[in-house]
Amino acid sequence: MSEAAHYRFPPSQAYPLNRCLFALKSDRAFAERFLADAHAATEEMGLTEGERADLRHMDRDALVARGAHPYLVFMAGLRLKMLAEPATLEYF
Amino acid sequence: MLIGAFAVAHTPQLLIRPETEDRDLVLRVHAAMARVKGRLQAMKPDAIAIVAGDHVEAFFLDAVPALAVYVGRECAGTFGPYRYRLDIHEDLARAVVEQGIERGFDLLYTQDARLDYAFYVPLHFVMPEPAIPIVPLHVNVYLPPQPTPARCHTWGVALGEILRARPERVALIASGGMSHFPGTDRYDSPEFEYDRGVLEALREGRGRELARVTGEELDKRGNVELRTWITLLGAVGDARAEVYCYEPSWHHGNAVVEWPLP
Repeated sequence: MSEAAHYRFPPSQAYPLNRCLFALKSDRAFAERFLADAHAATEEMGLTEGERADLRHMDRDALVARGAHPYLVFMAGLRLKMLAEPATLEYF
Repeated sequence: MLIGAFAVAHTPQLLIRPETEDRDLVLRVHAAMARVKGRLQAMKPDAIAIVAGDHVEAFFLDAVPALAVYVGRECAGTFGPYRYRLDIHEDLARAVVEQGIERGFDLLYTQDARLDYAFYVPLHFVMPEPAIPIVPLHVNVYLPPQPTPARCHTWGVALGEILRARPERVALIASGGMSHFPGTDRYDSPEFEYDRGVLEALREGRGRELARVTGEELDKRGNVELRTWITLLGAVGDARAEVYCYEPSWHHGNAVVEWPLP
């Protein structure tokens, strides 16, 4: 798969970032801590300050450029919205 | 016995609708999924084998299987406020693993993996009442290197043979698709014309052509999830598809399809 692909091999240097996005997506308690204080929640995740700043803003393109998996960025963002603004969603 | 085959979109916005989504479009997709549910009710399957790409939920970067089978008594997961727990048809799941391995497919199996919404969204809408057990089958679609479309098709051929030789009445569902680019700068511009071309080929019974598509092409067209459809196509051969709906939203080609089987 070429480097131009939308979904690329996840580089190992981005593992802590992808681990954090996975937790935002799949660990509700962590996502709630992140919503309350993103800086404190990401203290022990082994991230760079730049990664932590991009996570605070959920800057999709910047995170993907750092090696974040695009799907994890997408779903972490949707899960945070589901937690932060549940009344804006319709449930079937 | 393989008695039915369907493909069903699993967009999370079909289950939990943000204000960004066209409600009428969502309801039209629901109506198409209700048709599938009606068909399943009439077919009276003993089990549903559902092929989906786990969305980095059961399998994170600690272990990335190409193909996996959930074998156990039940499987469970959550998505937002939804808590789901579904029975697994253990005998059938075990037969798929054992016979798949015997046929040369290096399948991973799990007795304790979280069930992703890629499985749950279609089942939320199409599961007959009372519910029947499932066999969840994973195909890696999002974490490169993914299995090639040709490999998915070959696995699907074997899966079809295994299911046809079983005493249970089995309906096969492919979850996911069509074009979408979640998390990328292409999110708002899927390849709807590509989807329509694929659907036309499927209507004409030319499904095996998809086995020759490259992984690069699927990525380029926002169709990495078509691997689940291609697996199903291996199982259904040259059956002609009946397209229940194709509803392109601002970010996703939502399709619901049946392959009526003889």
